[in-house]
Amino acid sequence: MDVYAALQAVINGLLTGALYALIGMGLALIFGVMRIVNFAHGAFMMLGMYVTYVLFTRTGISPYALFIVTGTILFAFGYVVYFALMRPIHGQSDFMQILLTLGVGLICTDAVQLIFGADYHQINIPLQDTNFRIGPNISVNAPWVVSFGIACVLALALYLFVMRTMTGRAARAIAQNRYAAPLMGINVFRVQAISFAVGSAAAGIAGALLLPVFYLYPGVGDQFTLKAFVMVVLGGMESIVGAALAGLVLGVVENLTSLYWGNEWALAVDFAIFVLVLSLKPSGIFGRQTV
Amino acid sequence: MRRAHWLAAVAAVVLSLLVPLVVQTDYKLQVLFRIYLFASLGLAWNLVGGYAGQLSLGHAAYFGAGAYGLALFSGTLGMSPWLAVLAGVAGAMACALLIGGVSFRLRGPYFALSTIAFAEILRLTAKNLPGLTGGDVGVPVPALFHGNINRSFYWAAVALAALSFALTVVISRAKFGYYLMAIREDEDTALSVGIGAARNKLAALLISAALTALAGALYASIFLFIVPDQVLALDVSNEIAIVAMLGGAGTVLGPIVGSVVLETASEIFKNTFKEAHQLIFGVLLVFVVLFLPGGIVGTIAGLLRRSDIPGEGA
Repeated sequence: MDVYAALQAVINGLLTGALYALIGMGLALIFGVMRIVNFAHGAFMMLGMYVTYVLFTRTGISPYALFIVTGTILFAFGYVVYFALMRPIHGQSDFMQILLTLGVGLICTDAVQLIFGADYHQINIPLQDTNFRIGPNISVNAPWVVSFGIACVLALALYLFVMRTMTGRAARAIAQNRYAAPLMGINVFRVQAISFAVGSAAAGIAGALLLPVFYLYPGVGDQFTLKAFVMVVLGGMESIVGAALAGLVLGVVENLTSLYWGNEWALAVDFAIFVLVLSLKPSGIFGRQTV
Repeated sequence: MRRAHWLAAVAAVVLSLLVPLVVQTDYKLQVLFRIYLFASLGLAWNLVGGYAGQLSLGHAAYFGAGAYGLALFSGTLGMSPWLAVLAGVAGAMACALLIGGVSFRLRGPYFALSTIAFAEILRLTAKNLPGLTGGDVGVPVPALFHGNINRSFYWAAVALAALSFALTVVISRAKFGYYLMAIREDEDTALSVGIGAARNKLAALLISAALTALAGALYASIFLFIVPDQVLALDVSNEIAIVAMLGGAGTVLGPIVGSVVLETASEIFKNTFKEAHQLIFGVLLVFVVLFLPGGIVGTIAGLLRRSDIPGEGA
């Protein structure tokens, strides 16, 4: 196995990983602020893909511009889901919250299947024919580079949102101590709603960016829900920086696994890492900072 | 349970066994088979998810172990089918030992996530080792019954449901059952009064896995052919948990009621929604969490007893 193949796998892994990072950061934000493991996260990403797909086929505008619209729609969707469903069961056990989000995910997936059918779709944009060559043996497909750039900017924006804005500070305060936060005058429900909406939007935008390089079908989100869990556990459950780093690591590990063992083992290796981290170091390998 | 309850239970089993005298179409018997099968699965899940309060979303692992155990032990190793069923059960219990050993050290969402991860690892391994399991192409399963198979499988499912029910009743009234409920209500307090949480949870999981594997073997044998995405899928885990939650987790009758409602609804909506039949699962799940947190049986029992402790009924 030559070194270029490995290098190529690492580069592909980082490019994929940036999109994973966006999904993982969204889930980590939701978990940190709400203590809810959102089993519908992948379904929200899938919704983002379908929204972008519909807009693209109607208007012909590039997904790399449409992601802004998709993000806005998913933000609104997340906000409504929070107040309609999450808010009423506030304070109930993990058990109930997990089952609720599981139900929401099933509804999203099968509603989409009912409307669009189970067929696979793929879109074509001119950018897909462009490849960048680095040296003689490594080449990179242009859509991945564009989505990588956008994902990095958005990940940074999400980080600044959490670290610098008043709402972000409030979110971190809730993550630190959800009983003390309201005593400091924080409107917990409003901040949770915004966090849930931002997390949903991050998943939806990742879906929009994945659309040009991936297949589209109603169940596409399922594997991403699971991958997002892996990232969040790897990153320390409530740290968005940890989740982002874990996304990159996961992308690289998957691509190296595909290279050496075959594509079909990539997801299994994800879960093996997941189980190992959970049993050996449940606080994650990227430390323990909150949100 | 008072004597009247036992009599009612025995009468229900006898009546269930007599159903094939009246119902003779294959389709109806298959639907009834599915209802009793998922009642057993719900009851098995209920020991861990309901009484011990540990949200397992990976019961497909044991279901699949039972199914693949039957297929592989008889197909590859040449055991007789019923012996292979027992070997599959042993395999599922071995899985439970491993999964429980790791997962029960985790709590809340971490536990649920790790059960999913283990079930997925099994599914992906089964998919990726075609030499051993047939991979995505699948593997043939020997017939456990011959002749009038729909009737035989129906009876087997009734017997399994009766066994699961009897075990649930015995456990829920034994010290072991109270240990499990104590762990569910407050694990730390349970530990502090000397209840070995890890040991009791593991014991519950072993029983649950054995019953689930029996159901998996029955399911596999009625289809005569299995693939990983059918018997080891997340959908199976979800359906098992939904059956128990819908009827009422931590009640003896809940999973049976849940299976009757869910499988009937699923059968009705299958024709309306085609491939999107899981829509009804999602809707029922959200409905139960928002409006019936004790499940159907738990809520009714709560109303009857004017008690506000969920899951105390039946």
